[in-house]
Amino acid sequence: MLGREKALALLDKALAYSKAEQIDIYLNSQDLGLSRFAGGAIHQNVSHGNVVLNIRSVAGKRLGRATTNDLSDAGIQKAVESAHQNTLLMPADEDFLGLPQPSETSTVDSWDEATAFCSPETRATIVRGVCLQGVEHNLNVSGACRTGVQEIAVVSSRGTRAYHAGTFAGLIINTMSESSAGWAKGGGWRLSDLDTEALGKEAVSKAVEGRNPVAVDPGRYPVVLDTYAVDDILEALSMYGMGAQAVQEGRSWMNDLIGQQAMNPAVTIWDDGSAIQGWPVPFDAEGMPRRRVEVITAGVVNTPVHNSYTAGKDGTLSTGHQAYFTGAPIASNLFLQEGDSSLKELIGSTERGIYITRFFYTRLAHSKGCVMTGMTRDGTFMIENGQITHPVKDLRFTQSYVEALAGVELVGRDSKLILNEVGFATRVPALKLSSFNFTGVTV
Amino acid sequence: MPLDDFLSRALDLASVQGASYCDVRLVETNQERFVVRSGAVETLSNDESQGIGVRVLVSGCWGFASTNIVAPDEIDRITNVAVEIAKASAQSSTGQVSLGPPVTSQGVYTTPIRVNPFTISLEDKLGLLLEADARMGSVKGISARTGNLIFIKEHKSFANSEGAHVEQTIYEAGGGIMATARGNGEIQRRSYPQSMRQQGCAGWEFVDSMDLAGNAERIASEAVALLSAKHCPSGVTTLIVGASQLGLQIHESCGHAIELDRVLGSEAAYAGTSFLTTDKLNNFQYGSEHINITADSVRLPGLGSYGWDDEGVPAQSTPVVQNGQFTGYLTSRETASGLNLIPNGSMRAASWNRIPLIRMNNVSLEPGNWNLDDLIADTDDGILMEMNRSWSIDDRRFNFQFGTEIGYEIKKGKLGKALRNCTYTGITPEFWNSCDAVCNEELWTMWGIPNCGKGQPGQIGHTGHGAAPARFRNIQVGVMK
Repeated sequence: MLGREKALALLDKALAYSKAEQIDIYLNSQDLGLSRFAGGAIHQNVSHGNVVLNIRSVAGKRLGRATTNDLSDAGIQKAVESAHQNTLLMPADEDFLGLPQPSETSTVDSWDEATAFCSPETRATIVRGVCLQGVEHNLNVSGACRTGVQEIAVVSSRGTRAYHAGTFAGLIINTMSESSAGWAKGGGWRLSDLDTEALGKEAVSKAVEGRNPVAVDPGRYPVVLDTYAVDDILEALSMYGMGAQAVQEGRSWMNDLIGQQAMNPAVTIWDDGSAIQGWPVPFDAEGMPRRRVEVITAGVVNTPVHNSYTAGKDGTLSTGHQAYFTGAPIASNLFLQEGDSSLKELIGSTERGIYITRFFYTRLAHSKGCVMTGMTRDGTFMIENGQITHPVKDLRFTQSYVEALAGVELVGRDSKLILNEVGFATRVPALKLSSFNFTGVTV
Repeated sequence: MPLDDFLSRALDLASVQGASYCDVRLVETNQERFVVRSGAVETLSNDESQGIGVRVLVSGCWGFASTNIVAPDEIDRITNVAVEIAKASAQSSTGQVSLGPPVTSQGVYTTPIRVNPFTISLEDKLGLLLEADARMGSVKGISARTGNLIFIKEHKSFANSEGAHVEQTIYEAGGGIMATARGNGEIQRRSYPQSMRQQGCAGWEFVDSMDLAGNAERIASEAVALLSAKHCPSGVTTLIVGASQLGLQIHESCGHAIELDRVLGSEAAYAGTSFLTTDKLNNFQYGSEHINITADSVRLPGLGSYGWDDEGVPAQSTPVVQNGQFTGYLTSRETASGLNLIPNGSMRAASWNRIPLIRMNNVSLEPGNWNLDDLIADTDDGILMEMNRSWSIDDRRFNFQFGTEIGYEIKKGKLGKALRNCTYTGITPEFWNSCDAVCNEELWTMWGIPNCGKGQPGQIGHTGHGAAPARFRNIQVGVMK
């Protein structure tokens, strides 16, 4: 870990090397410890650190880039020069309005010392505890426990100067019997917030209750989606359409729906990079504050998220969603408004339907309506007369996620923070949907 | 300090600290990336990354640490960290890792290339994309267009405590274009040479021969035409899968399924397991007699081509499916040792800061005897589908569903009208057992997949898949309808 002073000093050094009209440098640093286990034992155990400088150099309407992790004076100087030379080769882009004006960013305290410096012994203790829970039920347990530090900083010749260091922790548990599997995932910025025993119980109970599943015919069923499945819906809606680039190019599910009641009024979705209830990162790779953007309000489609380039094209301001050095703006700190029903009530109100704990390998099948295909996995159960009656074999679905959220009947009152490996976080409740289209079943 | 001294420094220190085995990889990567989007240059970037990773076995348990600072003190630090991590692993470990016979490879390997891509000017590379972009833009009805090029040079030095020491320089080159059309309440796209891009272990000549500009108008026109094309019908029919789509089919339903670490459960919590359990080795009819699949790391320009894997095991070729019989896995030293197999050099790390995992090299369907015209003429009723648009498969690699950018009716042995929103689905062994014809060598292409995800922390692997069009009977199509 560099710390604020060293990080900003590195960026100042890069800035000083530049002869460009404008330049910004985005520093991305990660220190990661990860213990991976399978068959009840740790089989991969790693530690790595890396510091990457991402440089953008501007000449008029042209922007060149370079990246390096060589932090020597010569290495930084070479990368700065390389970005500058690339700029000179490019044709002008009339839509490029220059690097963004500095904007004040908020500070968020998402730092936990114990998480930052968690030892491999601590992770091994967590793993041992989880594995013992599985052994008691004759289950094969696998998963990963990770802890670490993420630092980002941005300095620009226009005056942007921002630094943030946050911690992260995550535990994934998979349990398997000969005929069933279970799953649990916890994550956040503080390791002590993870109830590892409860996560173990969750994964174990799904595998125990899921033994000897029965195949059900594909078709349309009402479903109760637990939080991991709802996370998948938000992630897909983000990846395939909540960014302004996709809207501007006409390939977003939001196209033709902005201002319309596309989802049930119970659905409100927003992105907020500064909310401590999520995995906060208060500014983006351009140093712009990550503003709260309500993408869906009571089922009405509002607006996509922007970086400075897409905002310039639309004559608006960046919302601070340039999540990575290159690529389109992304909503990566999403929230779905909780309702007032318990999971038990969601299931209890279902006459005949399917309780899905998790989706797997979901991919976009068609942009319009965000039609996705994927599988259920690690715990899928039949609901009859308001009760879970038996496990079912995993099903394939081909379903518009927009249409799915139009059919929301009940929203869970408890939300869960779900943090993936690359900094994408959602906080979501469980949902009951009126209909979900299953198109196949596995063997 | 000479770079080799860094390697021996880590090996020596690990030994002193009690490691029974150690390997060290020093990696430097240079990359040029170009993205043109609807007339504007979105990305022109030079990316450099360097670092060193140390992997140790202490008391039969693994530890790994890495750093981007290539300096003596830092090498010492990460070697000590790797040893400490291995000791911590022992707290939750039930078995002793065995690596089998020692690996003592020596030598130097460089990807054979005709033209070093880094000697071609950035202007020429950018010009190639801009011309293709302009030609796509000349077609009325196109709402978005993209093109990308990538050139990679990776230099790796590897040494282990058993005496291996190899140096490799791997070149990759790739490129592709895509046109998106919007209208009639529909969105359609066409790509060339394949979705995202075609990529190979090759030099500039690989991209130069693609003729991106020469295919730009064609794919743009096809994307527009698809807006009003017939929907793919729903039902069970005969399917001819085009070569590039078949490349991804092999990747998902065979390549991942034969990774022995998945089979043994070490990827269970993330990417899943495999139906090809060890009892099925040499004892399972994976496909029909027409199916012969080879995993190799020697067939250029496949993206899985190299001199040695990241355990120092020499590149080689392994028959995976022979006349439909399942005959081989992709293995590491550790997994091969457990089954008394000889490791086949399939361990690769995505970067200096990742441990090697079992990764596909070039997993290819060997060519058959048919030419495509004859195959179509021999098909009374069916569909030809080509160019991947979506892909999904379950966690044991059984149930898959693919969507393609375009399809064509086949009626009475003739190719008919284009079809949109084509999909097909099936169960892996049933699908491959339904194959009754594979096209010949002339139609066989080595496709590159540069975005294969695996492992935690995540690693992006680059894999090759040779394929020619092939015919499958009684396939469920048209789930989008």
